[in-house]
Amino acid sequence: MSVRALWIISYERGESVAVRFSRRYPTVEQRAKCMAGSLYVSVPEDGTVLQLLLTELGLSDSDKPYMALRDDCLHQQRSPALELHVEGPSGGVLWPMLVISQGPLILACLAVVDAPADPRPPLASLFSVSQGLTLLAGLQAFLCGSGSKPDREGLTSRLAMMPSILLQICPLGTPLDIPQPGASSASAMPTPAGTQKQPAWKTGVHRGRAVVNVALTEMVRSMQYGNRNRQDLWDVYGTVTCKCEVEGVLPNVTVTLTLPPNGSPLMDVLVHPCVSSLDASVLTAMSVEDCDSSSFSGPYKFPFSPPLEPFRLCSYTSQVPVPPILGTYQLKDDDNQLRITVSLKLHESVRNSFEYCEAHLPFFNRDQMGSVDVKVSSGQLEVSKEKNLLVWVLGQKFPKSREVSLEGSVSFSGELPGPTDPLCTDLTAYIKLYFRVPDLTLSGCCVDQHSVQVYSSAKPRIVTSRELLSSEYFIWNSTGTAPVSSGHMML
Amino acid sequence: MSANWPERISAFLRSPSQFLCSTTSDIFLAEVLHELRDDRASDHIKVLLLSPLLEHPTLLCPSVFVGEETALELMSVFAQCSPKSLPLRCHLLLALTSVLLCSCCVSSHTSASQDFLDLLLQMAQDTNDAQAGAALHPLRTTACDCLRELEACLPGLLSQRLELLSSLRQQENSRLHQAYTGLHALALRNAVYLLTQQKEAGAGDLKAALGSNEGFVWGEGADSAHPNSESHSDLALFSPLTLGTMGKVPSLQTGLDCKELRSLLSSLLEESYLLTSLSQAALLRQLVEVLAMVPAVSPTILRAQLLRLLGTCKVCLLHTTLLMKAAFTDSLFNAEDEAFLLKRLVGLSQHPLLSTPEKLFYIDCILHFPENRPISSGDESLPVLLTPRLAAALVPTVFNDSVSMLARLNLLSLVYLEEGEEDREGQGGRGLAYLYDHLTSLLRIVENQASREMVVTFFRASFLFLLHFCHVERYSEDLSQRLCDLYLRRTRLAPHLINLADRTQDRLEESGWAVALLRALQRTITEAPLSQLTLQDLRWHLRILARVAEEGEVLQRATLNFLLCVITSSSSALCVSGDWRLGNSVLGVCRRLLLHPSLDSLLTPLADLLQHLTCHYGETDIQDHARLYYTLLTTLSQEKLAGVLAQRGTERGRQAKVRSLSAIMGENEELTSGLTVHQTERPLLRLVKLDKHEPDECRPEHKPDSEPACETESSPGQGGIEDYRAQFQSSSFASEITLQYHLTHTGVHDPHFDKLFSIRLHFDLTDGHYEEVSDISVPCLFRTRKPPTVRLRLKPKQPYHTTLRASAIFTTEDGLSWHSPLADLHVAFPEVFLPLLTPLGWAREKKQRVFEGIWGEICSGQSEGDLTNTATSLFCDQLEDSAVGELVEKYFQRYLVSDLDKGRCNVLFFLPPQSHVLLKVITEEDAVQVHIATDNWKLLPYINSYLEDITKEIHSTQQVNGDV
Repeated sequence: MSVRALWIISYERGESVAVRFSRRYPTVEQRAKCMAGSLYVSVPEDGTVLQLLLTELGLSDSDKPYMALRDDCLHQQRSPALELHVEGPSGGVLWPMLVISQGPLILACLAVVDAPADPRPPLASLFSVSQGLTLLAGLQAFLCGSGSKPDREGLTSRLAMMPSILLQICPLGTPLDIPQPGASSASAMPTPAGTQKQPAWKTGVHRGRAVVNVALTEMVRSMQYGNRNRQDLWDVYGTVTCKCEVEGVLPNVTVTLTLPPNGSPLMDVLVHPCVSSLDASVLTAMSVEDCDSSSFSGPYKFPFSPPLEPFRLCSYTSQVPVPPILGTYQLKDDDNQLRITVSLKLHESVRNSFEYCEAHLPFFNRDQMGSVDVKVSSGQLEVSKEKNLLVWVLGQKFPKSREVSLEGSVSFSGELPGPTDPLCTDLTAYIKLYFRVPDLTLSGCCVDQHSVQVYSSAKPRIVTSRELLSSEYFIWNSTGTAPVSSGHMML
Repeated sequence: MSANWPERISAFLRSPSQFLCSTTSDIFLAEVLHELRDDRASDHIKVLLLSPLLEHPTLLCPSVFVGEETALELMSVFAQCSPKSLPLRCHLLLALTSVLLCSCCVSSHTSASQDFLDLLLQMAQDTNDAQAGAALHPLRTTACDCLRELEACLPGLLSQRLELLSSLRQQENSRLHQAYTGLHALALRNAVYLLTQQKEAGAGDLKAALGSNEGFVWGEGADSAHPNSESHSDLALFSPLTLGTMGKVPSLQTGLDCKELRSLLSSLLEESYLLTSLSQAALLRQLVEVLAMVPAVSPTILRAQLLRLLGTCKVCLLHTTLLMKAAFTDSLFNAEDEAFLLKRLVGLSQHPLLSTPEKLFYIDCILHFPENRPISSGDESLPVLLTPRLAAALVPTVFNDSVSMLARLNLLSLVYLEEGEEDREGQGGRGLAYLYDHLTSLLRIVENQASREMVVTFFRASFLFLLHFCHVERYSEDLSQRLCDLYLRRTRLAPHLINLADRTQDRLEESGWAVALLRALQRTITEAPLSQLTLQDLRWHLRILARVAEEGEVLQRATLNFLLCVITSSSSALCVSGDWRLGNSVLGVCRRLLLHPSLDSLLTPLADLLQHLTCHYGETDIQDHARLYYTLLTTLSQEKLAGVLAQRGTERGRQAKVRSLSAIMGENEELTSGLTVHQTERPLLRLVKLDKHEPDECRPEHKPDSEPACETESSPGQGGIEDYRAQFQSSSFASEITLQYHLTHTGVHDPHFDKLFSIRLHFDLTDGHYEEVSDISVPCLFRTRKPPTVRLRLKPKQPYHTTLRASAIFTTEDGLSWHSPLADLHVAFPEVFLPLLTPLGWAREKKQRVFEGIWGEICSGQSEGDLTNTATSLFCDQLEDSAVGELVEKYFQRYLVSDLDKGRCNVLFFLPPQSHVLLKVITEEDAVQVHIATDNWKLLPYINSYLEDITKEIHSTQQVNGDV
């Protein structure tokens, strides 16, 4: 249940590739050697590991269109664990090399196989794999900081902290914890000596005014085809984020999610490990099977003892009866000119009050746009600087009719070729919607301020909020062939 | 001493082998330890200095002895550390753990490891900061972690301290209880396991173990389990017992009476919530193992935690739940739970909020789902409950990333394969139709200028699809047709197509799909209109056709016709252009055709083609080869032809064992590897200094020509010094020293390198005191034979000691070239000495005269205060007569100008290019005086330390002799 070694690699396409940090755990290596017996392969030096890793990830020699070692169709890297083929006299296969990559960072660790090596045990039976994955994900979150891409200096300074971080979370190869990026030590006080054991995931106790903040964010995804043969799809997933400043070593807080009377149940509920108990009915509904309407639909109670830093209390998915915005998109090819017709309709159940709402119409595999002769019934139309994208800014409100339309034609007579995309050829094209509606959830799920219970001496201030955000909200051109996006379509 | 420690340490960590080429591990270790003791070094640097010990202890401490010494040093550094240097002290503990465990000190039960264990335990016992205060939390945590690692590597070490560990865990209320819990749970697990291995151990023994508070167990249990003990077979100590692959879980028969254990487990479970997810998962796994070994405690004790674990968003906790299920099956999970868990896994495998690696892991968990009633026990078998309807949530789409897409395709292929078996005509159902649709949408993407990654993914997906559904002709035939169409549009995909054909042929030999694909490709190429053929396309066509020509079943007439058309058509400028690579590709096809079973029917057109190439191709090499092939074709029988050409076997060159550049062969990847110089990981060769000077080697350079012989005639007994000086008018005279070495293998034993050929040794200077050294060639080196002698000629500019970087390039038996670094070559100061170089036949007295002459010049130069380079000095030491004799015999013999007489003698060292060091050795009573005169005063310090060294040596041998 340990890792033999750990690497942090920065990879920038066309630029530099380097092992920025590495750590080996020789005592774990001893055990690995013992378990593997004659199949033991020692961990090569960093340079070699880097090369092998890039080959397996298909990143090496990017200038060569085909390399047998890298592109062989026999290599099926299906699992999150790679095999590294070490050459030379002490060569063999290093497995399982767990890899997580995000942006320019590649994190990898070699998990120990704590089972007889022959025949190779299934990945799912190796405890060290989930431990390694958790460790890597934690390190990644720490290194990348709040943004999705780490800035260069921030990354360097965080890399410099790695030795002291690892001293705490993985001193001898057995992961104990993940780095706590958001832990604010300012308000944390050392624990008073008492009889109650302090949770290991809590760095101190809060002193001061008690505040509980519960934020509910729902994301809506959609694929609309405007095609009788192809069912439109949409779904919703939500997360509840909490920040609790409550006194006590192990204070009790309960947050309750409620649905409107006829609301469809929350599915695929996942909870934070600080949730102390769960009712079985909370977990029963699942998106992968048809749920019957009689099933449990709340209230969903989550009793927990909060850590100091903000955390995701729970997440869920939900199937709502209608998409918030229903659209159609039609393109007609007309002599290097495209005739465009778009209409969008806001569903009546959705509050007509957006923070922002935009429709993006990108065009691929064509020259830049020349003349744009397009009229919109509401909002403004902008042409991107690169002349390959129409941005229709709908603003804060749909008109009273709740319907807007766009019509006109665009010619592609620009001097430069626009961006390419292997999917969007010919008339395969889409509109992508971006919007945010404050104080709304599609599932109807909400956290009532009064339902938040805090068992502590001081009466806390309780703040709750909710919002709806779009995510991967596509409307495909109904005159072209649109790609299939889900297996549910065919059933 | 070294200001740039950060740089050196990072160089070491980056590549220890390369770093240790320039120094040795013991020197480096000594430097590190020295710097650690230095009070001026900052804590930050010291933490850095510990990292080599932390990460590569086996390199720096290869033996128990060195490990023990190092550990003692580190312990004393630890003792002297300021209490405030917390990070340093923590890292010292970690380094100590690494060193002691990896150099086998702990398993050898050395005193340092005992002291260290006592130290750790003492630190760990300060629960709730009773003594040292909260500031020392990190140190205490680290001490627990170290103890835990020691227990992990030597299971059972703490098995007699369970009571102590249990009370420490219970007492601790700060966050540190996690460290104590981890330690306690591991020790408990190991202790219970060791009990199961004892005959007739029962409830009483278990109770005794739980309440034990004795010492460390160095005995059998721990020792026999040590990783390094050869005979050890009980791997279960390190590995989880619940795998199933271990066979039956050993169990401890306790009867129903194990209240203590049950209450201990409950209290551990109750507190599990207070641990971080990672530690919690580890704790639960250990408890699962304990429960599996002690059947008297029911696993239902875990049930209270189960819902919390099933709902968790943490992959490590859910994984533990799966392992619980694998261990206890229906005694903990009923059929309903099982169905729930599987659906949950499917849901998680496509959950929008989880990361890709997590989702992939869950897909893998579905494939190895621990069923309560498993039907088959294959490598990847689907759980019965995974219906096509349920699995539909995981169908691959073009929006997936490559890895997820392939994982889903694999899973769904397995699902629909089962579905298809129930299907009527074996044509696959709707699910299969969907998968094929998906494959064709990928193909369309590839047609539309997809990225390289997408192309590779498509071919992998195709291979995966064929692996499962090759028998469904409707799809497999359509796929090969589509691949041909794709190829015509994107000819640069040729290597991918060849690869796909190769792999399907290997894996699906009986299906014949690969041959059908190749046949279809041949047809596609040969039937396409020639007018549209570009040069670039032709290159790829030739690669495909060469591969097609390897198939005996495929008729080759069309290929030949195509080649004839291309080469001979009047409009073709190919022959005129004389492109070597293109010509070679054509010849590559021809070469394979020469081996084709239907060669008889191809004879005429092939001969025509070769003849045309011979006469008209604008490249001589291609012409020559074509002529050779033509001759072979027209004169040899088919069997002989096969014998000549087919030496690389039927492996299609992919795994050819014998590499030979002189073989008649086409361009392929083997050739590339044969032409590349490979790098060895570690030094394979070394040079071992030969101390003996062969008699003829005394005067390496001085091969007297006729002149000196005449001189001895003409001026007998006259002006020795002028004659001597005259020799130097020839600039090459006595300008070199020759050192002899044996070239041998290093300790690295690899049969691959047992026989080396054409070894070329290259030397690089590290300073400016010598002229560049020329390379040395050694014909061969066999491990079984006497090592060859290497003569290294050095030409000093200044006669100082030096270090040479050495490396070797050589060829192994299989024809590959290798480059390997050698350890640095140190040339010591005395190795530069040569004796007085005089023409042959000079009498001893004449040499003596030269000596006196030079001596006189130096001394007079001194007395006149001349500012030349001359200098005199005196070296004294207490040495007895016999010792002086030994000194002279051992070190000066070769350089004597006069014999040792009454404790006196004269010695002359000549140091190329032009320096002399003259010694007059005078013994008086028990002291020896060495009068030194030299014409290069810069040599004095070296001479001095040389004399010190050798007298010290003499002293020590005298001492030994005296003792004896």
